[in-house]
Amino acid sequence: MADEDESSARAAYIDSHAHVFSRLSSEFPRRTSDLFPAEREEPVEKLLGEMESNGVSQAVLVQIGGSSLEHHAYLRHCLKEYPGRLCGIGCVPTDSDSIPAHMDRLADYGIIGFRLSSMGGPVDPLEPVDVRDCITYPIWKHAAEKDYVLYLYPRAIDSHVVPFLLDAFPQVRVVFNHLMVCPGEGRLSIDDKGRPHVDVAMPPMTRYSTMGLKVGRVQENTRGLHQYENVCVQISGQYAFSREAWPYRDLADWHACLKFVFGSSRLMWATDFPWIVEDPGYGRLVSILEELLPDLSDAERADVMGGTASAFLQFPGRGNPYI
Amino acid sequence: MGATPEQRKSWEDDGVLTVPDAVVGNELERLREAFDRRADDAKQDWLRGVAAGTQPAAFFDIPNPLEKDSIFVDLADHPSYYPLLVDFSAGQVCMQFPQFRTVPPSPLSYVGWHFDVPFSNPLHMKVQLYLDDVGKDGGAFAYVPGSHLPENDPLPQVRHLEDMPGHRTFPGSAGTAILFNSWGMHTSMVNLTLKARKSIILIYEVFTEENYDPERYSFLADRLVTAEQRRLFGLERTPSNTRHG
Repeated sequence: MADEDESSARAAYIDSHAHVFSRLSSEFPRRTSDLFPAEREEPVEKLLGEMESNGVSQAVLVQIGGSSLEHHAYLRHCLKEYPGRLCGIGCVPTDSDSIPAHMDRLADYGIIGFRLSSMGGPVDPLEPVDVRDCITYPIWKHAAEKDYVLYLYPRAIDSHVVPFLLDAFPQVRVVFNHLMVCPGEGRLSIDDKGRPHVDVAMPPMTRYSTMGLKVGRVQENTRGLHQYENVCVQISGQYAFSREAWPYRDLADWHACLKFVFGSSRLMWATDFPWIVEDPGYGRLVSILEELLPDLSDAERADVMGGTASAFLQFPGRGNPYI
Repeated sequence: MGATPEQRKSWEDDGVLTVPDAVVGNELERLREAFDRRADDAKQDWLRGVAAGTQPAAFFDIPNPLEKDSIFVDLADHPSYYPLLVDFSAGQVCMQFPQFRTVPPSPLSYVGWHFDVPFSNPLHMKVQLYLDDVGKDGGAFAYVPGSHLPENDPLPQVRHLEDMPGHRTFPGSAGTAILFNSWGMHTSMVNLTLKARKSIILIYEVFTEENYDPERYSFLADRLVTAEQRRLFGLERTPSNTRHG
């Protein structure tokens, strides 16, 4: 019976990267942008509705709209309202003089990790890198001490710094967001459907820094796994990078490379809700592995759709084979 | 003069061999100065590309190097290793393209173990010339001797470069050239030093009609004075079974 329960838990779908936010209010203060203006809301109940309609049992909410404690009010509200179904990833103001305290305060509210987009190292890859000089070093250090997860969506200019941090903190669980793409300066925009768009040639040039293997154009000539075992990649964000409509077949080769280098136990599916609700739709994304990784076995598919996230992120109420 | 019996055995059995002191003295100094000057000229464009995500941060190639300096062109048929290439290719050697490459230090090699072309591809050879002393932990070239032979394929998928069975790392002093068969498994080992690795990689293949492209190096037409040079750079076809050297 225990085995059946474990099997059931592993087969559950987990959306490992979604955003929710309320209208701007005194109760839920946040920053605004063209992507999430003051009057726009994408409430957690909308996400939960999509999840229930598509057999997705749990999700990771990734903070959007600011990094201060106050800006996390809606995320904290969601985690409190739906315990056991949601985990949270927060943000850290790198100009704070109390980074560890900020991280711990958010962890008290159920946030399991933090998202970084800038590493803060030298912009010239030929300059020596001392990770202690990186602006985000205190975040990595505290994550290592407290076992917080780090979600990475590095800028291209930071891509060469990432391996130094991975090497310095091999115990930190790291999740590269959105197919391990590192957006280039000036390459981010909003498309005509109100979604983030990244102008990037795939496979991304930054793979030479972040992946360290000669994969991309020809996968068959490589014999290597990713050097760092504590690194996962999210299968998500296709809509933002593809130059084709659903099912984004121009990204199929890159998906195959990620599977080859990381294996299913280090890949985790995500939707990047709410940007995908209109196009391609939440339900379609639940079946994206059939489109872009059609050769996965049932067990591998179960890993990517939820097993990896459950174990790696140590979702509450589930077995934790990762440890 | 072609390969010695020892060199031929290394080439045939291992797929790789070293030519120590391939470029030395004043020639090496001039080469290094030209490399640094052209790299400096190109660096700002590279950095802009790195920021935009259109250029790799993990390595920096001087763009179109053969258009930049005649000393670079002279490397293609350098007497220290060119006769070996002629010998190993039975006189069919043609230049494909060069990479004048700087690799910054990183705990992650920019390329893992890989081969460049499958066994179905015509013989494909590379010469990697170190411009500085390269220690074992300085991003040295590494190769799996014998992996250029189909009977030794496939090799395992490894997480750490040093876990590849049977591999050999090739540290060397400035001016060392390493010739290898690109069918074989090779990599750049991790550079754990504080110094970028500078090297020149020259890529050759035996002549085929498929890769014959007289336009590619037509800008060199005026300085390619011998028929052999014109064939090397593909300005003229290489007749089959032609032996040089």
